Amino acid sequence: MFKKILIANRGEIANRIIKACSELDIISVAIYSEADKNALHVRRADEAYFIGPSPANESYLNKEKIIDLAKKIGADAIHPGYGFLSENSEFIRMVEEAGITFIGPSSQSVKMMGEKTSARRLMKSHNVPIVPGTTEPIKNVEEGKKSAAEIGYPVMLKAAAGGGGKGMRKILNEDDFESSYSQAKNEALKAFGNDDVYLEKFIENPKHIEVQILADKFGNYIHLFERECSIQRRHQKVIEEAPSISVDDSTRKKITTAAVNAAKACSYYNAGTIEFLMDKKKDFYFLEMNTRLQVEHPVTEMITGVDIVKLQIKIASCERLTLKQEDLKIHGHAIECRIYAEDVDNNFAPSTGKIIHHKLTSGPGIRIDYGIDLMSQVSIYYDSMLAKVIAWGIDRDEAIVRIMRALSEYQISGVITNTPSFTWMLKQKTFLDGTFDINFLENEFFPLLPGKWKDGSTNDAEEIAAVLGALLKLQERGTTLSNNQITNNNQWRKQQYD
Amino acid sequence: MTEFVITINYRKHTVKVSENSSVEIGDKKVETEISQISNNFYLIRFGNSVFEVIANKLDRDKYGFLIDGFYFETIIRTQLEETVIELQKKKSKIRHHSDVKAPMPGLLLKLKKGIGDQVSLGEPLLLLEAMKMENELRSPASGRVKNIFFREGQSIEKDAIILTIE
Repeated sequence: MFKKILIANRGEIANRIIKACSELDIISVAIYSEADKNALHVRRADEAYFIGPSPANESYLNKEKIIDLAKKIGADAIHPGYGFLSENSEFIRMVEEAGITFIGPSSQSVKMMGEKTSARRLMKSHNVPIVPGTTEPIKNVEEGKKSAAEIGYPVMLKAAAGGGGKGMRKILNEDDFESSYSQAKNEALKAFGNDDVYLEKFIENPKHIEVQILADKFGNYIHLFERECSIQRRHQKVIEEAPSISVDDSTRKKITTAAVNAAKACSYYNAGTIEFLMDKKKDFYFLEMNTRLQVEHPVTEMITGVDIVKLQIKIASCERLTLKQEDLKIHGHAIECRIYAEDVDNNFAPSTGKIIHHKLTSGPGIRIDYGIDLMSQVSIYYDSMLAKVIAWGIDRDEAIVRIMRALSEYQISGVITNTPSFTWMLKQKTFLDGTFDINFLENEFFPLLPGKWKDGSTNDAEEIAAVLGALLKLQERGTTLSNNQITNNNQWRKQQYD
Repeated sequence: MTEFVITINYRKHTVKVSENSSVEIGDKKVETEISQISNNFYLIRFGNSVFEVIANKLDRDKYGFLIDGFYFETIIRTQLEETVIELQKKKSKIRHHSDVKAPMPGLLLKLKKGIGDQVSLGEPLLLLEAMKMENELRSPASGRVKNIFFREGQSIEKDAIILTIE
């Protein structure tokens, strides 16, 4: 087993990996940029090293610096988390050549799947169904327009090196092609350092279903069932569940088999996820493979009892998978809500600032994976996800009421978060009966922006805000309030039990 | 007695606080009591329930309150202050110009218009990058670009005026 693991990431996922290291008795090493000096992962890791200025390409994306540091401090493995360098085959190759173990798949597997167009060709040849579209990157606007016309509008423009919705655009007609093309290319270049894009037919009203795969370096493959990730905004997932309410036993058998075949096609090892689009007839199409740990891995951990991050580390250190497919069962239901620093009613504008208050919640079935704490800085440089609230219940209904409770108790202040919007989403009929698809937010939530979705549900809290506002203003103005109106520790608090 | 006008989401509430500590909101009288737990953290009794509130002072007369998972930007003014500001607003409406403000903090990636350029309503003005996403800002009015206060490559705070159109 490894002695020291360098975690080439930040935020909640760096903290998640630190916990796994701690349980495996491995020394965890954090790296941090200028903006992250006070970040939580820096405080929690056994060792922490400054890596560079705040912009990601000078810190968390700086391959040479990270590898040099790993060598210098004697780290025997690097965990990339998700995003940043996690799916960068060049980085993985450099790590391999430096004699350090990369906790993830081989650079060859990542290269095969990471370049989305070659992945599509590979899947096609292994009889995994793919979305109709191009299997080569688009060379210029004219060629793109020609292909788009052949496929038929609307089409999706996607980054060949992409993921997470970055460098992705839906194009309705030829007039919009050129501007979408250049925006997607710019975003792709910035997010992934590669501006290749390709086209896919736009599939109407699908669900996003994905399958978690685990494989060791000895050719043993298992799947950990599916996740439903259809609640998305601009291709960023917002709510994820396991299992999916729309996947029946026979579909589950087909889609998990296809996923295992996809993993075998690229001689995959470690944890990976095969994403599919599933239409109303429950036909599914390969979308892409994420050759890394997923943000939403906790819902799978909750229903299977498997610690995916620890298994990643064990697999990387050449241990065999002892889990057998027939031993795995779906137990109960899990839901995850992603807490983003964004102002839902102001066009989802990212909110930045210093965290001045952070109070977690707990209780039956609740887990919170978070990357912030008091005084940590939420900056414009990185992804705006602050935390993930995860609930487990014996069935879907119980998971839903539990997550609603937890969301109302979880307090973050200093930045504006999307937390209250979940109380609306989790109550909608289409969410509850499972008929929602990836357009749920666009069709049902967006028309209620700004503010209308709150629809009276906040009246009481609004009155409290008004009264407190008046009392604080009065206090500021230096007017003396009578004793029982504001004191630092007044009578009724003293009545509380210790 | 002091009377306040509290604005939350464009809705106005009147709150009266009297010397003997009784509080009225609208025409409703409420039993209330607050305790400060830490710098930003308060408990408030409201009728028969106690709530935790996180208060974040944003401005001279502006607080952000987090209550029961909901966030409220709350503008607090005395009746007199409110009257003065309403008057000022009416005056400024007579002049015709629009400020284009940054809806989010970000990096000014590209300016698509220069000083003196004609723009029409909804026309793209600039690209603002925040958290790795490019956001196109469109013109809120038709007219001519009068001033531009930032250069490409500069960081912009939320609500800063980027340019004006007249």
